[in-house]
Amino acid sequence: MTPVRVTAVFAMLFALGISAATRHNDDSCDIGTLPAATLLLPYFEVDINAAQTFAQTTIFTVVNVSSAERIARITIWTDLAYPIATFSIVLTGYDAQSINLYDIIARGRLPVTGPTASGSCAATPSDVPQPILTDLRTALTTGRTQACGTNIVGLTHANAIGYITIDTVATCGTSMPNDPAYYSELLYDNVLTGDYETLNPNPATGNFAGGDPLVHIRAIPEGGPAGVVTKTNLPYTFYDLYTPRGTEDSRAMDRRQPLPHAFLARYIQGGAGAFNTELHIWREGVVPTGAVCADYKANDGTAMKVSEMLRFDEHENPTIAVFSLIPGIPPPPVIFPAASSTATSSGLFPPLSTSGDVGGFFYLNLNNATPSPNTSAKNGARATQNWVVVSMKAEGRYQAEYGATPLGNGCSPAPAVRATIGPAPDKTP
Amino acid sequence: MRRTLLAFSTFVALTLHAATFTVAPSTTNNDDSCDIAVLPAATLLLPYFEVDFNSSSLNANTTLFTVVNTTQSPQIARVTLWTDLGYPVVNFNLFLTGYDVQSINLYDILGPKGVIAPPFGTSSNVDVGDRSLPNEANPNFAPNAAQACASNPGPISVNIVNDIRNAFTLGRISACGKSQIGLTHVNAIGYATIDVVKTCGISFPTQSSYYDDLLYDNVLTGDYQTISPNSVTGNYAGGNPLVHIRAIPEGGAGGAVVATDLPYTFYDRYTPRTAPAMDRRQPLPSVFAARFIQGGTGAFNTNLQIWREGMAGSGAACADYAKDLSGSNMAATDIVRFDEHENPTDYSGFFCGIPICVPYVVLPEASSTSTSAGIFPPLSTSGDVGGWIYLNLNNSGPSAYSKTRASQNWAVVSMFAEGRFSVMFDATMLANGCTPPQPKKATIGPGPNLTP
Repeated sequence: MTPVRVTAVFAMLFALGISAATRHNDDSCDIGTLPAATLLLPYFEVDINAAQTFAQTTIFTVVNVSSAERIARITIWTDLAYPIATFSIVLTGYDAQSINLYDIIARGRLPVTGPTASGSCAATPSDVPQPILTDLRTALTTGRTQACGTNIVGLTHANAIGYITIDTVATCGTSMPNDPAYYSELLYDNVLTGDYETLNPNPATGNFAGGDPLVHIRAIPEGGPAGVVTKTNLPYTFYDLYTPRGTEDSRAMDRRQPLPHAFLARYIQGGAGAFNTELHIWREGVVPTGAVCADYKANDGTAMKVSEMLRFDEHENPTIAVFSLIPGIPPPPVIFPAASSTATSSGLFPPLSTSGDVGGFFYLNLNNATPSPNTSAKNGARATQNWVVVSMKAEGRYQAEYGATPLGNGCSPAPAVRATIGPAPDKTP
Repeated sequence: MRRTLLAFSTFVALTLHAATFTVAPSTTNNDDSCDIAVLPAATLLLPYFEVDFNSSSLNANTTLFTVVNTTQSPQIARVTLWTDLGYPVVNFNLFLTGYDVQSINLYDILGPKGVIAPPFGTSSNVDVGDRSLPNEANPNFAPNAAQACASNPGPISVNIVNDIRNAFTLGRISACGKSQIGLTHVNAIGYATIDVVKTCGISFPTQSSYYDDLLYDNVLTGDYQTISPNSVTGNYAGGNPLVHIRAIPEGGAGGAVVATDLPYTFYDRYTPRTAPAMDRRQPLPSVFAARFIQGGTGAFNTNLQIWREGMAGSGAACADYAKDLSGSNMAATDIVRFDEHENPTDYSGFFCGIPICVPYVVLPEASSTSTSAGIFPPLSTSGDVGGWIYLNLNNSGPSAYSKTRASQNWAVVSMFAEGRFSVMFDATMLANGCTPPQPKKATIGPGPNLTP
């Protein structure tokens, strides 16, 4: 339970050539709700200033579906993909642990778990130390931390906004996924499942709830001890930005499935008294391991420009993004940061058609438009990873929240701009 | 495309299956995985629906679902509504132009309107979008597809609507006389399948002739919402993706028999016995982990919406459908509840001898059951009101299946509280449909997710 950012880079000890104790998972890049080694909460939002009875919050639950004890490392990231805090929870066999982010960020209370059967993880604090709690709050609301001075590591908003990763690990350490030392602790057992709920109890602004499974990211192949470099057939991996540089195998040593790039997301945009839609979008950043504080603003910069977005109405009429008002001047780029929630009525999305339809779907090719700094040791330049959740709300009482449809998986090639829209080949790596 | 064709039909005599030629599919390299994921698919399953057609639309519980064609080519989707005993009551077709989206409110069909979809919208006769191909531009369509899909039935006749309502509420239908083909409940309850097909025909998945019409293109996506507007009993909504079931390998003409690596398929009990994997649809799993909160009044409570593969196969008579609930045919293999302190409870010692022994739990093909119901193991004595439930829903495997295998299932968690909060999400599959059946009392944990 050490919500302190670790900046030191530790040397890695690789035990090469050890085979994984696989359970024969199927080398598929498809993301399904199956027990996984990493869970992603793609977007959270917490009103840290309101009383709990009115405060918007996000609750997530992690379940260990195996009989053996597990440790899960939970990392809280800002919406510019800066890892601001981490803590570990001990899950006994078949354990379920729910965490209300209001408890952590507003009340400074951490879940108390452990110790493990071996006695490790015993020093879990129940309270977040005040200086760290202050830093956590400012990082998630103003993008400021003491460690980064005047450099911005998150965007500014009244509510705390970011995303969370949950990994199976070997110990209750303090390293974070952007630190190469993390990969000497990461485990490969597909044993975690989980879900999350967004609660907005305020009758004036919400009065509803939504929920969805966490994004389940499997290790392929699974099993084996931490710190082991085992060959994977995946073309690149979820933590590719952060894994140790070196061989192509060490670069993919997290063995986590990659996430896809193109999505189809439904919308209803009915205005007052009807359903309206927000899209929660998670995007892989462009700031790799070894970055300094000043680098993180790039995760909301032109390098994060999306490739293509189209809106189709219910009569199949397509509309495209904004045009420039000045001839010869290109339209402004559409940029989403690492974690965001945006109303489909926002100018960032293509406008409604003139048909009068208020429903339909979006085609979102969220691969970075400019040549990406994200490269894999195996395949050079690659597509960037993304996830999209559709959140529809109406009348201060209805909410439906569910994942958008990926049009391919993370092993599919990135669709070209203006390519024919449709399902991509879902490749086996 | 809102041109729809209603085909109200009861179970009819089997027709000989005519087309059994072998053709290579025009695959787009989908990945031969048994994992069920939200990716464009050839079949969509709405695992449970419930409609209160007796109330006004302002207060009526209903289920809406939306189907989207993710390609520029036109597609035809055959929608079949089934009772909770797996009897196919009614079907209709949706003609979807390229990139079309079609929402269906089941209250419109079962309620006072008695229509499948609004009369406006697209059809095989209307203009297509700028990025869509012409309405005949699908090489896998039957030659008469455009003509077959051009007739919009408009309102459903009152007699037919009444028969449909009776089927989904009383389990009675005129064609089956006194035989029960569904359970009895005030609201209409059942499930729906949506398949990509080559023409607007009237056959059902239970008929061999259906597999002449079935196509194999993974092009559909969709979602559904449950709306409970009654401020006394609900006042909330939930939503989830439909279950996306892919064809492997995909592509090619209807009626073709193409080898698949899948060990068995979603429509296994209905396909022609000479080609039982002809539908090429991924099988669904049998083992799940489903979260629950059972906080009582003023707190979150949970229903589990469970879809199960039934026992009656192709050629079943009306009287066969009620057999699903007789005896232990549809008994679940194992159900264990874990609280937040990992204390397990099961049926041992709880149900036998006080005063009636209930040695097994039977759930029908479509159900929504509170986790406080007696069919689930009781809460532990720890005081915890949350945790998760292990569901091994495999049944005993009837003769209608093409081989000895696990039965297919799906589970959705529906939590709700305070007349304003509701969340809905799929339970976690602990394995996929290619995983061997898990025996009773097996060590609980993830199964191997096999590539076929």
